[in-house]
Amino acid sequence: MLIKTINLTKTYTIDGDIQTPALRGVDIVIDKGEFVAIAGPSGSGKTSLLNLLGALDTPTSGSIFYEDIDITKIALNALSGFRLTQIGFVFQAYNLINTLTALENVEYIMLLKGVSADIRRKKAVDILARVGLGDYINRFPRHMSGGQQQRVAVARSIAAEPKVVLADEPTANLDSKTAESLIELMKELNAEKGITFIFSTHDKMVMDKAKRLINLHDGKVVS
Amino acid sequence: MIFAFLKIAFRNILRAKRRSLITVSAVGFGLGALIFIWAFVDGAHRQMVENYTSLIAGHIQIHKQGFSQKEQLEMNFSRPEEIIAKLTRLAQVKAVSPRIKAFGLVSSAEHSSIVSIMGIVPQKELSVSRMSDRVKEGKFLEDNKSIVIGERLAKNLNVSLGDKVVIMSQALDGSIASAAYHVNGLLDTGADEIDKGVALITYTAAQELFVMDNKASEIAVRINSAEDARIVSRMIANDLNSPDLEVLAWQDISPMLYQWVEFDNGFIWIIVLVVMIVVAIGILNTVLMGVLERTHEFGILLALGTKRRQVISMVAFESLILGIVGSIAGLGLGCVSSLYYGKAGINLSAFTQALNNFYMDAFIYPRLSFGHVATSLVLVLIISVVVSLYPAYHAANLKPVDAIRSI
Ligand SMILES: Nc1ncnc2c1ncn2[C@@H]1O[C@H](COP(=O)(O)OP(=O)(O)OP(=O)(O)O)[C@@H](O)[C@H]1O
Ligand SMILES: [Mg+2]
Repeated sequence: MLIKTINLTKTYTIDGDIQTPALRGVDIVIDKGEFVAIAGPSGSGKTSLLNLLGALDTPTSGSIFYEDIDITKIALNALSGFRLTQIGFVFQAYNLINTLTALENVEYIMLLKGVSADIRRKKAVDILARVGLGDYINRFPRHMSGGQQQRVAVARSIAAEPKVVLADEPTANLDSKTAESLIELMKELNAEKGITFIFSTHDKMVMDKAKRLINLHDGKVVS
Repeated sequence: MIFAFLKIAFRNILRAKRRSLITVSAVGFGLGALIFIWAFVDGAHRQMVENYTSLIAGHIQIHKQGFSQKEQLEMNFSRPEEIIAKLTRLAQVKAVSPRIKAFGLVSSAEHSSIVSIMGIVPQKELSVSRMSDRVKEGKFLEDNKSIVIGERLAKNLNVSLGDKVVIMSQALDGSIASAAYHVNGLLDTGADEIDKGVALITYTAAQELFVMDNKASEIAVRINSAEDARIVSRMIANDLNSPDLEVLAWQDISPMLYQWVEFDNGFIWIIVLVVMIVVAIGILNTVLMGVLERTHEFGILLALGTKRRQVISMVAFESLILGIVGSIAGLGLGCVSSLYYGKAGINLSAFTQALNNFYMDAFIYPRLSFGHVATSLVLVLIISVVVSLYPAYHAANLKPVDAIRSI
């Protein structure tokens, strides 16, 4: 068991009084090395769940265990360190720091972890080559296509060797061919390095590539 | 790690070139103006003090105790040469000159006027005051029968060069003092009270006229730097160690001039404040706009595990860099313009008529002072960092989830 949620709920409060329940008691268990898609219609709670799993938001109630640590009990200040060491992130779009090159974006996460400059550089070059961007390492994000940017984001997410990579609709802004190759890349990295991937999607093709599908509906796991 | 944040800050500055340029200009012009204005005021003060002290007063005056309250012939002291000998031994003292001061009636054939009569030693006076430079017509004192009076006084008496005037007064022994002199020179100092009300004769002539018996009314002292007048006057008082004598610095001799200078020195802080506000607003505007524009990016940075204090330093660096670049520009602008006008002078002749009484020159020569330049610079740099703390804290306190959602 890598991640386990117990009766996880999230209710947003808008303007202090309107309550929107986004998650209504989610219990899931994800093992090390899994390749999981979270599916469900718009508004079903996919983003809410990923934000909680990524320690970016706090649940209304319930617990989230990473191995035997309940991260809902960790102080907000300490969570940045937890995210840095344990979790890789890929967001829907505009993942990268605009003022840094592809290489520097990948290096950034290792820099925060205090990896020395030469090791950092070598590793970033290797990973970028691995995701097929060997010729693009010195490009700035604005000079790369959306698909290339997402590949850099994937490279960055695994650079610090996290336990899990969380990706909220990483293919939503890509055409279907580019989307497919990005998911293929993630799947290969999952197989090669044993890194757990959890990603959400609307896309039937992407769901089909997942080894396991978690279906959300109205804030509940339905299958 | 610091280096990486500096790099990001640098690139962000370059990314928003136009905005950065505006900020750098605001800082540069602000600091440049501040340095220049401060140099201008310092230069003007120096000239005012210099003009005042060199005209007649000197930097320091020594009298019999109470002379400054009651300027009379009776307020004199004996053996001035002994005091002079002591004074010339002090390193800070440049020149010393004894004087006799009294009031008397100056008459021509047609008119008369009550004036302040000064007996001076012409050669010694040359290195203490610049009265001789102010002789507009004729020459300075030559023999013991010559007299130098203000141009306005000459007009009032209706006399010109070479004419005879008579001084009448009371001598120290109570006898009537009366002697005739020929007008040797006319003074134009620009200061009315001198041009209308002063008559100069030689020290020897005054000794004789007032039957002084080798007593003096005043010893005027010139020192190396007018700014040290207070300190040196205290040293002199200690040295002379006589309760019968008063030792006054120019600040005590002309409290009005001193207050004027002090008022200006206080006023300049208002200018400093205004410039700081302009600089602060300039930097705040740029940095805050830059931060708000990058909300999404800060969300990503925070989500990835960047610590809040790292985000703060990233933003503060940006502001500091803008501050430093602007300061270099401002330093150049302020110093170059001050040095240039320090040589060329700034023509204020249009205003000098009104300012004559304050010993202002037609040309003001700005003068850089290291302390004031350094103060301006440090203040601008501090302001540029302090002002960035608000946008920096704003960025650091963003909730990553919310920030990422904004594009
Ligand atoms: N910040 C928020 N404030 C208020 N309500 C929110 C907020 N975020 C999400 N919600 C609500 O919570 C519910 C779940 O939203 P969530 O974004 O998790 O769904 P989703 O499955 O990711 O949808 P989509 O596929 O459109 O991205 C929705 O009803 C949504 O309106
Ligand atoms: Mg979503």
